[in-house]
Amino acid sequence: MNDRVSSPMPSAWPVPTQPTVRRTAMKAWMEGMVYLLPSLLLFGVFLFYPLARTLYLSMFSTNYQGAPIRFVGWAHFAALFQDESFWHSVKTTFFFAALTVPTTVAIAFCLALLVHEKRKGIGIFRTLFASTMGMSVAVASIIWMFMYNPAIGIMNRLLSALGFPAVSWLLDPDTALYAVAIATIWMNIGFTFLLLLAGLQNIDPSLYESARIAGLSYWRQLWTVSVPLLSPTLFFVTTVSLIQALQTFGQIDFLTKGGPVDATNVFVYAIYREAFVNYQFGFASAQAIVLFVIIAAITFLQFRFAERKVHYQ
Amino acid sequence: MKTVRFVAYYGGLCICSALLLFPMVYALLMSFMDKADIFAGRLWPERWEWTNYQAAFKQAPLGSYLLNSLFVASVITIGRLIVSSLAAFAFVFLRFPGRDAWFYICIATMLVPWEATVIPNFLTVQQLGWTNHYFGLTIPFWAMAFGIFLLRQQFRQIPYELYEAARLSGIGNFRFFCHIALPLSKTGLVTLAVYSFLDAWNMYLWPLLVTSDDRVRTVQIGLKQLQTQEMANSWGVVMAAAVVAMLPTLVLLFVGQKQLRKGLMQGAIQ
Amino acid sequence: MKNVLLGLLLAFVSIIAGCSSVDSKGETANRKTEVVFWHSMSGDLQPVLEEIVNDFNQTHSDIEVKPVFQGTYEEALTKWNAVAGTKEAPTIMQTFEVGTKHMIDSRQIVPVQTWIDKDQYDVSQWEKNIVRYYTVNGRIYSMPFNSSTPVLIYNKDAFRKAGLDPEKPPLTYSELKEAAKKLTKKSGKETKQYGFSMLNYGWFFEEMIAVQGGLYVNHDNGRSADATEAVFHGQEGRRVFELIRDMYRDGTFYNAGQNWDDMRAAFQAGKIAMYLDSSAGLKSLIDNSPFSVGVSYLPVPDGIERQGVVIGGASLWMMKGSSEKEQKAAWEFMKYVTSPSVQAKWHVRTGYFAINPAAYDEPLVKEEWKKYPQLKVAVDQLHETKPTAATQGALITVFPESRQHVVKAMEQLYEGVDPQEALDQAAKETNRVLQKTN
Repeated sequence: MNDRVSSPMPSAWPVPTQPTVRRTAMKAWMEGMVYLLPSLLLFGVFLFYPLARTLYLSMFSTNYQGAPIRFVGWAHFAALFQDESFWHSVKTTFFFAALTVPTTVAIAFCLALLVHEKRKGIGIFRTLFASTMGMSVAVASIIWMFMYNPAIGIMNRLLSALGFPAVSWLLDPDTALYAVAIATIWMNIGFTFLLLLAGLQNIDPSLYESARIAGLSYWRQLWTVSVPLLSPTLFFVTTVSLIQALQTFGQIDFLTKGGPVDATNVFVYAIYREAFVNYQFGFASAQAIVLFVIIAAITFLQFRFAERKVHYQ
Repeated sequence: MKTVRFVAYYGGLCICSALLLFPMVYALLMSFMDKADIFAGRLWPERWEWTNYQAAFKQAPLGSYLLNSLFVASVITIGRLIVSSLAAFAFVFLRFPGRDAWFYICIATMLVPWEATVIPNFLTVQQLGWTNHYFGLTIPFWAMAFGIFLLRQQFRQIPYELYEAARLSGIGNFRFFCHIALPLSKTGLVTLAVYSFLDAWNMYLWPLLVTSDDRVRTVQIGLKQLQTQEMANSWGVVMAAAVVAMLPTLVLLFVGQKQLRKGLMQGAIQ
Repeated sequence: MKNVLLGLLLAFVSIIAGCSSVDSKGETANRKTEVVFWHSMSGDLQPVLEEIVNDFNQTHSDIEVKPVFQGTYEEALTKWNAVAGTKEAPTIMQTFEVGTKHMIDSRQIVPVQTWIDKDQYDVSQWEKNIVRYYTVNGRIYSMPFNSSTPVLIYNKDAFRKAGLDPEKPPLTYSELKEAAKKLTKKSGKETKQYGFSMLNYGWFFEEMIAVQGGLYVNHDNGRSADATEAVFHGQEGRRVFELIRDMYRDGTFYNAGQNWDDMRAAFQAGKIAMYLDSSAGLKSLIDNSPFSVGVSYLPVPDGIERQGVVIGGASLWMMKGSSEKEQKAAWEFMKYVTSPSVQAKWHVRTGYFAINPAAYDEPLVKEEWKKYPQLKVAVDQLHETKPTAATQGALITVFPESRQHVVKAMEQLYEGVDPQEALDQAAKETNRVLQKTN
């Protein structure tokens, strides 16, 4: 069923005479476009137009109002690739994604497995596990900021109660990114858990039944039934989480402002600061374009290679 | 042996829940503390105080902000469900030239960093005369690649044979969409609805930009209104507002959990 | 089928349309001149501001000032940039002090001086050391509003316990180091109480340079001509950085990060005994500390004469796009705000300075000062400031970005980077952006 997407369209159809083909194709196209129209219209106005504008601006130096004043061609890009802090923020962003995405998915998957089977009172736990998705980045960041406070925060009080030395959390360049990552994983667990649980619930119970009859252990069942059948959901979850991680912004703005010593200066935060605090719209636009290309490349690779392994029912 | 496993299982669940819930409970407790308690780093309030909530509601019109958030989030959710499911349906069941290209174009929009689009979008909304209006707060968010992607994954679980059979018995595309595809995809629709609602509820920068009138502003702006830099913050009040801002979404999750779970179960295709 | 879809969408749209459409400019049915006032006064400041505006509206029947919160100074400025010159722009805009040159260069504002001249208003009643900051080329561009300076804050109880005189806070670097050593308390490897702290924030660094008479950028801090080069990495800046480096090395300095409230929490929890803070937050700090709080001047290096402090905070700007009538109404509001009685209230309730020193003679203030003598220290420090280019404050457009580089340099100190090297790097980065914009 997978080749439904990748096979060339016309081959699926009978081969009628030329004008009929054209008319049928035209009609099919019209109908398809009607369904797509609302999306395409909105995307065009609120995403592609700004994107085109960003590309345009990336070749200009701008004034403080963001209006282009001088054409500079690829100069911003050239400056960007020679900029050490740019490469640093690229590295930081990828490291941050590597820290958060697999951990979030793994924890959420374990939680989903724990409450997957129907038992007494399980509904309450399912709701509790999903509850962090009700938290906004702003609210969650405020709370974590307090928990990390080196003087009165709960984290250090806990550490000292357990006899460990105090940690500076957000203030130490060596720990700041990990601290932000912990808060981020916490925020993302809820929704990831819910998606994976839904995926597990959608697996046909009779498959487990046959597996059990075949004498497969719990772990074998997990690998031979759950994981393959969950692969569409897993693929979806990792793709979306990765894109989200590469675009992390809110927590950084609230918790660290990119510091200390740029330790948490992830890509989107760097862009935000360049545009909205420093008013270097041209340079910021160039950065945004580079980010777009990077994410596009990664997502393309993911679709190209990972989706092949995905098993649709 | 059985009881040991029982205790271990539920004990494990309780520990996991406690770890996950701790930050929220911490915020709730702090919202009842006075300043002395907070600066002493206490975990449990010495005396339970409602004053923080009174102060929060006095300083910002949180009541009307909450109603606005509710309205804006609902409209975005409904809009997204309609727009995304239409597109996803076309991508899965219809065959027309350029379909896959359009799909990748839609997915590509997910890659656009939102921060890069803020200023041009603000100018667009301004030119449309949608500032200080619910239009500006909602319509730009109706189309969403994530939603299309999610529903596409969902629709693909519907056997294509079902679609072909329906077509042969003369059921039109739109009828198939309304009466077969959508009911069979409750999982995806419910998930998307919940996600959209929470996502919309939590927007901050955009509502701040496109509104300057308290009558249409949302609760996240209220939260920001209660914090300062140069002066010491009343953290109890900020936490009270944070609790007010997160409570509706949490209540929604708790009350809707049965519905949500049912939706998740019913979506299963045998 | 197309129709069904369209109908659905249309119905949906009309539902929301019907629900509400709010007009941003409430129609002036009763012929009131409306003055939209964008501000960033959040937290405890907002109720005070709204009270002042309400009082004004009640006493001026023909004017309606509408305060609108627009997020932080940065967020407000971002929005303003996008709407400046259109009908959506406000009549009065509050902007932080480092945005001064940005506002002037935008050419979208009317200098307050225009209305001072028209009205032949006597500005000599305003606090000179505050107005000086907003005076460029001899003209007052904006009306100072919430103004503050940094002060040294210390824990008197901790002083007593350490055998120090709580009425004699350190005034020089060597006194500061000495006191910090005595105030630092360790138990085993862990430090229970640190001597001194300073936020990793550009403002404090700028003030510590100005108090020595040092400049931030060339051309008299950008006041005599557009600045082209940073000079904060000279000897004055080096002294500040070396002070932090030395004290951090001694274990008497606490790294409080960039968050104001983290630092205050550390002070109130007894984790630090002395630190620098804005004079604006003094009162609530005194109220909420479980010990007695002392306030003093910024310390200076040994043998250097104290020059005073630069004003911080924000001011009110008038928009060019507004009509003559709106501008006049805005000017009326500004005059009202600077009156002694309003300023007395503002000072007492918020801790910001009174722009009109006559306010300090009001009974309200006198009473408050009796209760909180610490408030007067900040005012004295401001009054004793010598009028030089150093204390007038630097005037550059790229201030926010330059501050980011200074913060990074400060953070590098804790990583063991040489003070001069860190400073030179920050200066180099600042020069790069200065040249880019010139």
